[in-house]
Amino acid sequence: MRSKTLRMLLSLVLLAAFAAGIVGCLPVPTDVPPKAEEAKPAEVKPTEAKPAEEKPVEEKPAKPYEGVELTLAAMTDQYIAGFRHLIPIFEEESGITITMDELGYVDLYQKLTADFVGKTAQYDLMTVDIVWSGEYATNGYTLPLDDFMARDKEELMLDDIMPVAWTLGEYKGKHYAYPLAGYANVLNYRKDLLEAAGIEPPKTQEELLAAAKALTKDGQYGIALLGAKGSAVAQDYMAWVQQHGGSILDKDGKVAVNTPENVEILKFFGELFKYAPPGSTDYWWDQRETAFRDGMVAMMEGWSIARAGYENPEISKIVGKVDIVPAPVSEGMEPMYGFGGWGIGINASSDPEKQEAAWVFIKWLTSPEIQKEWVRHDGAPIRRSTLTDPDLNKEYPWFPKMLEAFEKGDGDYRPRIPEYSIIQDALGTYVNAYLVGQETAESALQKAQAQIEANIK
Amino acid sequence: MKSFALTFRRFFRDDGQYLLLLSPLLIFAVVVAIYPLFFSFRISLFDYRLTDPNQTQTFVGLKNYIRAFSDTVVLDSLKTTLIYVFGTVTLELVFGLGLALLLSAEVRIIRMLRSFLIMPMAIPPLVVGLVWKALYNADFGVIPFYMKALGLSVGHGPLAELKLAMLAVILIDLWQWTPLLMVIFLAGLKSLPTEPYEAAVVDGASRWQSFWFITLPLLKPTMLVALLLRTMQSFKVFDTIYATTAGGPGSATTVLNFHIYTVGMTFFDMGYAAALANILLVVIAVLSIIYIMVLERQQF
Repeated sequence: MRSKTLRMLLSLVLLAAFAAGIVGCLPVPTDVPPKAEEAKPAEVKPTEAKPAEEKPVEEKPAKPYEGVELTLAAMTDQYIAGFRHLIPIFEEESGITITMDELGYVDLYQKLTADFVGKTAQYDLMTVDIVWSGEYATNGYTLPLDDFMARDKEELMLDDIMPVAWTLGEYKGKHYAYPLAGYANVLNYRKDLLEAAGIEPPKTQEELLAAAKALTKDGQYGIALLGAKGSAVAQDYMAWVQQHGGSILDKDGKVAVNTPENVEILKFFGELFKYAPPGSTDYWWDQRETAFRDGMVAMMEGWSIARAGYENPEISKIVGKVDIVPAPVSEGMEPMYGFGGWGIGINASSDPEKQEAAWVFIKWLTSPEIQKEWVRHDGAPIRRSTLTDPDLNKEYPWFPKMLEAFEKGDGDYRPRIPEYSIIQDALGTYVNAYLVGQETAESALQKAQAQIEANIK
Repeated sequence: MKSFALTFRRFFRDDGQYLLLLSPLLIFAVVVAIYPLFFSFRISLFDYRLTDPNQTQTFVGLKNYIRAFSDTVVLDSLKTTLIYVFGTVTLELVFGLGLALLLSAEVRIIRMLRSFLIMPMAIPPLVVGLVWKALYNADFGVIPFYMKALGLSVGHGPLAELKLAMLAVILIDLWQWTPLLMVIFLAGLKSLPTEPYEAAVVDGASRWQSFWFITLPLLKPTMLVALLLRTMQSFKVFDTIYATTAGGPGSATTVLNFHIYTVGMTFFDMGYAAALANILLVVIAVLSIIYIMVLERQQF
């Protein structure tokens, strides 16, 4: 009798556990975001809550999209701090809630692709890397924003946005992502080391090589580079192709990586690695940053967004010793500077109401007023008014150089075409193979070209 | 024919209940194993790109398989995989057996030691990969630091040198999975009968002889299990490679499974990726059958 009740009880418990297990399995997407949300307010409150009180005056009366819930997939780049700070303020003003999922580069791309292909609209808003815009446009993944932009022309102040910033989302005349964060390719250098060696900041690639050579001594290296197999080495090589006036595509827009010109550039790129830390052929962005912040190298080319971090004593040993110049180009070449960064797009499969609300967020975030806060919280500028703002120029004395790099920015040195990921993978494998001595410069690019052609249909 | 129909009918009349009771398990197996298997076989006969907005699937017959065998990247990665599997499995077998023999005594300290040794198995391979990547880093890592202190040349670091990268990843696998083999061999050792050893002692056999002529042959079934398990796992290696070298430097550690991932998740070429995955499946199945045949035949 007793054992029977016990068995009954036990099976009941098991049944409950079973049911809980099943129920627990269902809402996967809603399970994750709350964590990110919990983390946000805690980080935001201590910094600054004032802007929230200042602005409501302008927008408070109308909250047409109150109660709409949006999800945002954001890359864990420096600007994530800007989102963490600004989203709660926006939520307060508009009544729209935004749940942010913070994802790494590879994860973000794959999760978004799955979301787009399945038309599941898990994410209404997403950060779009400049190189994805062609693919997203061709496949219709993100909403063309041109109708919205034409409607709200007056408030947007489109002329104020740097012309090069439009490459962050424009494809064949339409806008599939709105400019969010513009990065200029700049050369960071150590003032103290260059001065001690009596070297002027390099203006040309040839000077850069000579400086890197001269600065490599006593356990110190000339330059930090990205050498790790995959997107890292591919993107760094493409930056050097741009700086030497080469091109990944031929005149007809066909992929042509194995030109004699590109082979020469690859050899130059390989030459630079002689003056980089030995581990460089295994560096991703974070290790390259560490090498520079640790004081191990004298120079580093990279995105301008990282610049502010060198003045943060918590993560940097080189506070006050760094300056930037626009990335040097090959001698005799008309200066053009690599431009990259992120746009923000709206999922084409989201509900129209959510799309409208998402557009409200984009408008708010990219307005000149909010852009200042965005930049102050590790965001990156897209507007001329931000880059020329006197207050910001005092806080970030390198802004004039960034403006110059933006003026002559080239957003297409990494081809923004649907086949980009195939090109990047092939270059990522074979440029790395050349750097570690598995291939010669010629055979590396030959094989990369062959692999690209085999995969583009 | 008639008898077949009879058994068939009887099966359903008499044992229908069995089927009913088995159905949850059968449905589960169909949903999670059999359906995906058939789907991947079907899709491997099609040209299907996941990112295609129209989701068109064109039937191409065996073209994906033919392409695989003329693709040098695939053949190279297959070779890399074989080296990796051979390296990890033999080393782990030797070290696992050695550790098991060393730690088979039932003493308190040894029991504690054993539980400590099992810890690497409890860590997800991806985390293991990230930790080792940090340890191996040429400029900031611990291992190159001591290598330099010993006067050894580190070059680009263990993971970035062509000749060292494969060895470096094999070492990671060795660190993580040798304990598993140790546990399996310990179980095998504990279940051995004691009589043959007593007889051997009476006959004047040395310890080495009793190991070579008694322990090893008796451990054969255990060895089969261990070999099968590790070979299959080793063929499927992905996480550690993904986290440490991403198949680099160049393509020195691009194992087949990592290449399949690139084709599927970077190129989104699902038909071709499915074909490659099926080839991997067949290779593993064939190897497993050979193992079983060889080791079964030699038994007694």
